[in-house]
Amino acid sequence: MTADDMPSPASASMRDTPRRRRRTVPVWAWPLGAAAVILVMTLIHSGGQGAGDILAAAVTFSALFVIVGLGQMLVITSGPGNVDLSIPAAISLSGAIAMKVMDGANGMIAVGLLAALAAAMSLGVANYLLIRLLRIPPIIATLSSSLIVQSIAIAYGRGLKIKPPPAFADFCTGRILGVSNLALVAAALTALVLLALSRTLYGRTLLALGQNARAARLAGTPVTRTRLTTSIASATLAGLCGVLLAGFSGGSSLNMGEEYLLASIAVTVIGGTSVAGGRAEPLGIWGAALLLFLIVTMLNTFGLSAGVRLIATGLIIVTVIAIGGGSKRV
Amino acid sequence: MKIRIVLAAVIATTCLTGVALADTSSKKIALSNNYAGNSWRQAMLKSWGTVTSKAVADKVVADASAFTTAENQATEQAAQIQNLILQGYDAIVINAASPTALNGAVKEACDAGVTVVSFDGIVTEPCAWRVAVDFQKMGAIQVDYLAERFPDGGNLLEIRGLAGVFVDDEIHKGIEEGVKKHPKFKIVSSVHGDWAQEVAQKAVAGVLPTLPPIKAVVTQGGDGYGAAQAFKGAGREVPIIIMGNRQDELLWWKDQKEASGYETMSVSIAPGVGTLAFWVAQQILDGKQVPKDLIVPFLSVEQNNLEERLKQTEKGGVTNVEYSLNDAQAVIAGTK
Repeated sequence: MTADDMPSPASASMRDTPRRRRRTVPVWAWPLGAAAVILVMTLIHSGGQGAGDILAAAVTFSALFVIVGLGQMLVITSGPGNVDLSIPAAISLSGAIAMKVMDGANGMIAVGLLAALAAAMSLGVANYLLIRLLRIPPIIATLSSSLIVQSIAIAYGRGLKIKPPPAFADFCTGRILGVSNLALVAAALTALVLLALSRTLYGRTLLALGQNARAARLAGTPVTRTRLTTSIASATLAGLCGVLLAGFSGGSSLNMGEEYLLASIAVTVIGGTSVAGGRAEPLGIWGAALLLFLIVTMLNTFGLSAGVRLIATGLIIVTVIAIGGGSKRV
Repeated sequence: MKIRIVLAAVIATTCLTGVALADTSSKKIALSNNYAGNSWRQAMLKSWGTVTSKAVADKVVADASAFTTAENQATEQAAQIQNLILQGYDAIVINAASPTALNGAVKEACDAGVTVVSFDGIVTEPCAWRVAVDFQKMGAIQVDYLAERFPDGGNLLEIRGLAGVFVDDEIHKGIEEGVKKHPKFKIVSSVHGDWAQEVAQKAVAGVLPTLPPIKAVVTQGGDGYGAAQAFKGAGREVPIIIMGNRQDELLWWKDQKEASGYETMSVSIAPGVGTLAFWVAQQILDGKQVPKDLIVPFLSVEQNNLEERLKQTEKGGVTNVEYSLNDAQAVIAGTK
């Protein structure tokens, strides 16, 4: 089943554009196509060597970005100005808590996971309270909560890099039928989010909220609950990513969440989600995450200098957004 | 004879009071630090706290507080330095966010009569002292070590740090020079690991499928464990990976050593270098002649002292030594 068969969450935004778009290619296909092109170029350079392995590595590492990206996407979809900057802190704290509670014992995996997710959820609630009760803009609220949480993570995690329990590490690095377990988790979560966006009250309210907050409130949709759920979902997904990342890379570290801040926003936007809110593209996140990973791999394979790599990365991203975005704006 | 004794006594007293005169017990030294979010910086701050609190208790200096900026921004640190000048510190020890962007604030400090000592992240302003690391040598000695291990050479994978940062360029230059000196080695690929295990793991895992067999991995520290994980994940034999004194790296090395006799080496700068800079600042306040450019000694871990070093290294930390006044004097004397 493809996304075309079911009412895509993107269709919700059609209400505010009276002209129906001539759209043969779904938005999420653009970054995926670009990722495929990048992969082919890499393989041409390497003489076709290692195709399967590159793809397997790309899918595994992308899965972590997808998990975080889904949360960021929900937040961004809830309307202009909404963004979660506390994601790196949530990743670091959850990773630290999970590894410390599990303490290398297989029997404690469930407890550690729950503790880490609970901490992340509280962060989500705290973010919501800062934004709604104290009326602090989301950027500032999540930035300040992230500073606090990062400090807690540093204080709590001092002397860390506790190894994950063997069973948990095996799960995080393991594969079923050649597909990494992390990718399966991310796929399941993507399906869940897709379903929630298109079929549940929560999803429909979120999209309505993103398109016009006032109209959504006047229409009597549960706006408050939706915002709270979104905030918690983003923090929890980041927390889950932190736990899985710690299991995958053999322990947590203080700065392991750092690269996920901009990446979570990048995969969301490159994937076709509207920065203005109201339109979500969960499938696009996969293409965008694969694209970002494969760009790095390609440039590393080409052996270009650091400056050229950064320029090339920027140009590729701009090109993909320009081509993909062009088709949806016309 | 009597005159002689009196003279000797006078000289002796002058010498004694000389020490007492150059007293720094009323002096205040501040640490201006730009970042605290990784294990190296955490260890650096901890060492600073341990050594300086003892120095304050022993009345060597009056105050030695540490200040860390929240956002790792040069502008923020420049403002912080201006505050420290206003607060009347006699010396500021700086780990700088940028080698050039703080020069204005540093010059202001010098003009206000404040002694400025930069270390690790150094500043180029001529009025400041620099406790610098010979990063090029840190790269070159890795290849030297490998040349000794593998006289026939082989393929190298290079893991670099954060693109565009001075330290990354310097270590990279050192490694390139090492390869020039030992031409049997060839760098087949060079990836950026940003000095973080997770980033290094990701970068290596991505490029590994396209690479020929790798003899060794040259690194910059903080990336060795991630590289090992990537090799293991790809089902490839783990080559010799040069480590960077992180506890997780050393622990992994010890496990491999016990399992299969794995041999490598590890080199980095001890986070305690901050305490070296502290003593240098104290010596300058004490009126000693100190050259503007000092070189920090490396701290390396070898096959035979691995267990001992690992035991001293805090879980999740970096192998560390705290420097004493004598060490600082030795470094100063060595550069003269």
